[in-house]
Amino acid sequence: MAGDGINRTAIADFIFQEARLLDARNFRDWMALFADDGTYWVPSVPGQQSPFDQASLFYDDRDLMKTRVERLEHPRIHVQTPPSRTAHLIGNVVVEEEDAANGELVVGSTVIMAEYRDDAQRVFAGRQRHRLRRHGDTFLIVQKRVDLINCDAAFEAMAVPI
Amino acid sequence: MRNGHAEEISKLIEPGRVHRRVYSDPDLFELEMERIFGRAWLFVGHVSQVPNPGDYVTTDLGRAPVIMARHRDGSVQVLLNRCSHRGAKVVNERRGHAPRLTCCYHGWSFDTDGRLLTVPVPEGCGEGFDKDALGLACAPRVGEYRGFIFASLAVKGQSFEDHIGPVKDNIDDLVDRAPDGALALDAGMHRYAFNGNWKLQVENVLDSYHVPFGHASTVNKDGVQFARREGDRKGATVVEAERKQTAASWKDRKSFIAGNGHGWTSNTALDEGKRSSPVFDEYKKALAEKVGAARADEILTPRLHNSLIYPNLSIMGLNIHVRVIKPIAVDRTEVNIYPIRLIGAPDAMNAANIRLLNVTHSAASFVQTDDLESFARAQKGLRSTMTDWVDISRGLGAEEPDRERNATRGLATHEMVVRAQYKAWLGYMAEAA
Repeated sequence: MAGDGINRTAIADFIFQEARLLDARNFRDWMALFADDGTYWVPSVPGQQSPFDQASLFYDDRDLMKTRVERLEHPRIHVQTPPSRTAHLIGNVVVEEEDAANGELVVGSTVIMAEYRDDAQRVFAGRQRHRLRRHGDTFLIVQKRVDLINCDAAFEAMAVPI
Repeated sequence: MRNGHAEEISKLIEPGRVHRRVYSDPDLFELEMERIFGRAWLFVGHVSQVPNPGDYVTTDLGRAPVIMARHRDGSVQVLLNRCSHRGAKVVNERRGHAPRLTCCYHGWSFDTDGRLLTVPVPEGCGEGFDKDALGLACAPRVGEYRGFIFASLAVKGQSFEDHIGPVKDNIDDLVDRAPDGALALDAGMHRYAFNGNWKLQVENVLDSYHVPFGHASTVNKDGVQFARREGDRKGATVVEAERKQTAASWKDRKSFIAGNGHGWTSNTALDEGKRSSPVFDEYKKALAEKVGAARADEILTPRLHNSLIYPNLSIMGLNIHVRVIKPIAVDRTEVNIYPIRLIGAPDAMNAANIRLLNVTHSAASFVQTDDLESFARAQKGLRSTMTDWVDISRGLGAEEPDRERNATRGLATHEMVVRAQYKAWLGYMAEAA
């Protein structure tokens, strides 16, 4: 198994904490978990190879993430009036890779997010992969990729990150 | 309304208002599927989706599941995706490649032009069994303009030339941006759905009135929308920040109609000719090498924002894409949006366009999501029988002729385009079968 000698509890806690920030709608602190060159990617094609030649549900760099978060904080974001309430459940956390060159870790997990808004509840489910860079005694997210099991479905509006 | 008498339907549309049943009556919806989606020229797909013989994509034209396939002779065929035997949908994948199309139920197989090829256990077929008459049904009429494939499910009706005529230039406006003069719809698609009538989306694509309000969350405190395109330093000014009202430049935008329900809006000069970045400059150079510098400048001067090719297609010039509107039920609609790859443009330019469309039109985008909220709320409001009418009177009587395009012009914050859509709607709906 990759990543021998890694503090697995600390890694899992980091992944859990990231989801808790989303559930708390603390989007600013969530964004701060990403490295300056970090990206948040939700493909729209199963097994999508690249965000540059196919459409994606989300593919945000830090600039776009900032615009997204500012919009989520805007008083007249109609699609969040009323706001979503979400609950993430993260499991099956596994360190999949450790980059020998730079020490970055790829952590896989399963995510289920229930979202309630405006009298309707729905569920998202999929696999997620975090590429993490060590940062002091914690981590920065180099990429968070969420592969929804229904990534190529027709979705109703999605306002909050998964 | 079940009988669909012309006189009764005509009462639903007045010069400046539309009856709410147009959006909420399930019987009227069924009649629309028959009389609009069963008759009109509908966008099916683009030739680039089926480059090689045996390639196919599937979609729905109103109630009809269809296959768009490339046949061995190079032709693009639009076939009913329904087995001629017992009615099962033959092809279940959204896209694929197959030398022949075989039904999962009893194994009847069809050629990519619909011809019935083989029937398992043929000795069971009766004497009069006519294989030639049992192919997949073909769309009675198919038309193409610069790679855009349209079909009509009716044998008779307005010719494709007459239908597409007024908006040919709008398709040119998009295709001409490709240095090689061709597009590819091969970069996936965005799919979103909403609990609302299909016409709410159709009306919205040319609606400039809603932007400062509907998309307030995309406008910063200076009244400027986020920068959209590669090479732009900022987005459109839609609000005058100090006076907190719609910006004059936004109010001056124009909209146009030219018959058949089609329409388009003029673009806002975002860049004043200063759009520039290494990626955009490289693209501009590639275009100029093919068409000359003067023509490249002309092509890249924003003229059109959104165009509607009634009833199911819109193409956008600002952040380029093709959008297909698919009615599912009276209060349910699916929309598919295809990013466009400009053939001959640098990969980085196409990648920038693909990324931009994620931001503006994915189900998780900054722009489209607020529209979806408006559509769903409109459908909720229109359930009420207390008030029957929807107002579409803005700018009624203020239309003027536009000689350049042989069109009629109005302000883009007016509702001329919506009235034109209902004129076309009534033309289809009030004509008995």
